[in-house]
Amino acid sequence: MPKAQSINQNLAPYVLPNFRNMGVALRSLLLVNGIALLAAIFSASSWQGIAQYMVNFSALLQPILLLNLLALYIFNPMLARLSYLRGVGVILLLAATITLVVHHLSGAFYIVSTGIISTGEDGYFHLWRNATVSVAITALLLAYFRSRAQALSPALHEARLQALQARIRPHFLFNTINAVLGIVRADPKRAETALEDMADLFRMAMAHHSDLVAAHKEISLARQYLALEQMRLGERLKVSWHTQDLPDDVLIPPLILQPLLENAVYHGIEPLTAGGEINIKLYRKANEIHLDVHNPRQAQSDRHSGNKMALSNIRERLALQFDVEAKYTVAAGKNFYHVHIMLPYIKEEKNEHS
Amino acid sequence: MSIAKLPFTVFVVDDEPLARNRLKELLADCNQQLPLDVVGEAGNGCEALDKLSATRADVVLVDIRMPQMDGIELAQHLNKLPLPPAIIFTTAFDAYAIRAFELHAVDYLLKPIRIGRLLDALIRARTSVPVRAEVLQEISTEPRKNLSVHERGKVYLIPIDEVLYLRAEMKYVTVRTAQREYLIEEALAALEKEFASRFVRIHRNCLVAKEQVAGFEKVSDDGSGETHWTVKLKNLDERLAISRRQQFVVKEFS
Repeated sequence: MPKAQSINQNLAPYVLPNFRNMGVALRSLLLVNGIALLAAIFSASSWQGIAQYMVNFSALLQPILLLNLLALYIFNPMLARLSYLRGVGVILLLAATITLVVHHLSGAFYIVSTGIISTGEDGYFHLWRNATVSVAITALLLAYFRSRAQALSPALHEARLQALQARIRPHFLFNTINAVLGIVRADPKRAETALEDMADLFRMAMAHHSDLVAAHKEISLARQYLALEQMRLGERLKVSWHTQDLPDDVLIPPLILQPLLENAVYHGIEPLTAGGEINIKLYRKANEIHLDVHNPRQAQSDRHSGNKMALSNIRERLALQFDVEAKYTVAAGKNFYHVHIMLPYIKEEKNEHS
Repeated sequence: MSIAKLPFTVFVVDDEPLARNRLKELLADCNQQLPLDVVGEAGNGCEALDKLSATRADVVLVDIRMPQMDGIELAQHLNKLPLPPAIIFTTAFDAYAIRAFELHAVDYLLKPIRIGRLLDALIRARTSVPVRAEVLQEISTEPRKNLSVHERGKVYLIPIDEVLYLRAEMKYVTVRTAQREYLIEEALAALEKEFASRFVRIHRNCLVAKEQVAGFEKVSDDGSGETHWTVKLKNLDERLAISRRQQFVVKEFS
């Protein structure tokens, strides 16, 4: 199993969150500071007191929190290899250790800034108190991520199912079979190729998918799909691919590209008598992978929108899998439709097969 | 009485060449049991109308989902021919249409088509009457893109976006374009319902294209001293009277 599969915290709730995901870090920051604010409100006896307490808490809290997140970012790959319970243990231990170290280093400063004059064994009390609170909050966060994963996993299952159905759109299935029947007598060889393409397409669609697949596999599948549509639509369908700026080792979620293309064919090309060109562009920009699908469409097209499902499904899956690190945007003009998807650049690890 | 000695004439309409090919092969296979002639084929509705105005066919096999003009609209225009052909709809998958066909007992074939089904449908079609216009309108999911009129043995299409106004007189409706007038045999109320997004009623007997409205003018009635509103059109120098009941239209526009 490629390492990158741990990228999402879904399906099994007993998986640690991916601490390299910006959404996870952001949620942790907000939640911890939220708790601190509550504590400040609780401790204060006046409005100004809240701010004062918040400042005091922050002096210790922010360094610990940021160091913790940094440590989790660094150790994320190692943590992902542990079982869930062990991982939790390690993370709690890490939180306690960082708290103690920070406390020790800034001990004097902390005591002065909070105005608590402590001597002797009272210092140990603060040490113990901070470590306990820090471990408790960390545990709370882990519990939150687990319950979030639990809540999302049925949605993801559902999304997978829908993606499957989106790919096996009956309109495409029956029309393609009909087209193959239309050439089987005149051109049996071509009919054979078409059936082989179809078998590949359906095998992929029905396979049990991992969270990520090699982009080049998705691309070749999409090409097979378009070859089938080309057989049906002939010269009406023109396709132009731009993939030269895409590295070979890119991983993307399965069933993203082909449904987009099917959409472009169904709503863009088919309603046009003269047809048109679908423009597909995949490229890498820094740490992002970009995916563009551009197609013409009929000026005042008001066809019933059965496709919305496929698109909203893609949007949903991206949100579940990448949180804020993926973007999905649509630009619809009077006679064109453009979908743009941005994903984080996830590399296929060479030592493991995909 | 013996059923037609002459071979049965069939016409095929589908936007996909391979689908037409398949149908022609099947029709050739049918020939043994049911003598028939494929008299032509078309890749879209306009082409089909042109060819079928010149060549008569007993049965037309029409794909539902086609660019420009869908199969249901084509059937509506074909009904205007002096001897309208029987129509058999074909579709690969269209849940909505299939439900509508079942509801109105309209014959259809599912692609890929089996020869047995095709034969049955052809035999039934020989004795069937054309599907009524109201039924077709009910089945269609979107308004027609054209009105049609039969003149000098040919069906003419009037693109709906060229129509300035529709006016009912006696049993006809006058269709006015910037160039000329046509008479069609349809009910104004049905047209109003079908093209609700495009036309607005300004009088008991008149619908005007919303985007053709250039402005409103108050005109005094002859003699009586009373006044009424009229519509000024963009592409035609003609004033259309607004009835008292429809006067709110003036407010809605300004």
